[in-house]
Amino acid sequence: MRFAYLSKAIRPVCLLLSAVFLLSACANSYVVLLENPDGRTGEVVVTGEKGKQVIKTAGYGASLDGSETPAPVSAAKIKSDFSAAMTARPKVPLRYILYFQSDATLTAESEALIPKIIAEAVNWPAVDISVVGHTDTLGAAEINESLALVRAVVMADLLKEKGLKYNSLNVESHGERNLLIPTPDDTLEPRNRRVEVSIR
Amino acid sequence: MFKFTFICGCLLSSALWAGDAPIAYVKNVMGDASVTTAGKTVKAEVGTAVSQGSVLRTGAKSSMGLTFKDETMMSFGPDTQLTVDEYLYAPAQGKLSLVSMLAKGSMNYVSGIIAKLQPDAVAIKTPTGIIGVRGTQFVVKVEE
Repeated sequence: MRFAYLSKAIRPVCLLLSAVFLLSACANSYVVLLENPDGRTGEVVVTGEKGKQVIKTAGYGASLDGSETPAPVSAAKIKSDFSAAMTARPKVPLRYILYFQSDATLTAESEALIPKIIAEAVNWPAVDISVVGHTDTLGAAEINESLALVRAVVMADLLKEKGLKYNSLNVESHGERNLLIPTPDDTLEPRNRRVEVSIR
Repeated sequence: MFKFTFICGCLLSSALWAGDAPIAYVKNVMGDASVTTAGKTVKAEVGTAVSQGSVLRTGAKSSMGLTFKDETMMSFGPDTQLTVDEYLYAPAQGKLSLVSMLAKGSMNYVSGIIAKLQPDAVAIKTPTGIIGVRGTQFVVKVEE
């Protein structure tokens, strides 16, 4: 009876000790899920020799060997282990979306973005820029890949002609494989017919 | 024989091309950091190019941040080493892959377009486990 009383008293201490132990085991090599810069939170899957864990809640962490179910990690610990890496995070890239009329002529609104893009680019250290053409899913994928490239080239030439300064610039086509508005195949969707300019 | 040599030549030049084409640029550096590409090590500076196969290192009390072509961002705390094993970013051909190895240190990772288009194409390997990414930001620490 006396023993039972003792073990009851000890139990919280053991729990506390095991929590501390887990934390210290976890302290070696672990991952913590954070909220995205855009405010959304995705998932992280850890697959290690001791199991597989899915972390779905921001601020939760798990050791890299997959042995522990995800648990909250204190803000103080995140700060002490990661403040250097977090502080070194580059500025989140800026993306401009420009639209074309049915041919390769920009809409008036998109044309007005050009001076803004050029003015913004000078604010970035060693700025590198991607000009990426996209189409909707109407028609054959190969044709869309070429069409998207034509739009991207037109866009890039226009930016250069108006005086865009850059450290590196690449022109790409994502064809119909990177939709802004998800649609089935062979679907007309003007919002997917676009060029994205990413400033990094 | 000529044909064989020709094919080898093509493979070699495409391999060289893949190794040389920049896939990311250094955006932030503090202290002592380097980028090693094809056996050649340069001191990391803002604007230093990173290629497939590059090894990124930071020293004590140092940090470095880079942004990839697909807008993936990686930044490292002190005493970190990461190798970009594979980086494929050709969405029109459906070729997408970002595989890297964090041998030691700390990293803040923000996923980009590759993870958005094909989440299973992204893997961060570590000595004890592999991290898969579904459109998110995370921090990871590897202690030796």
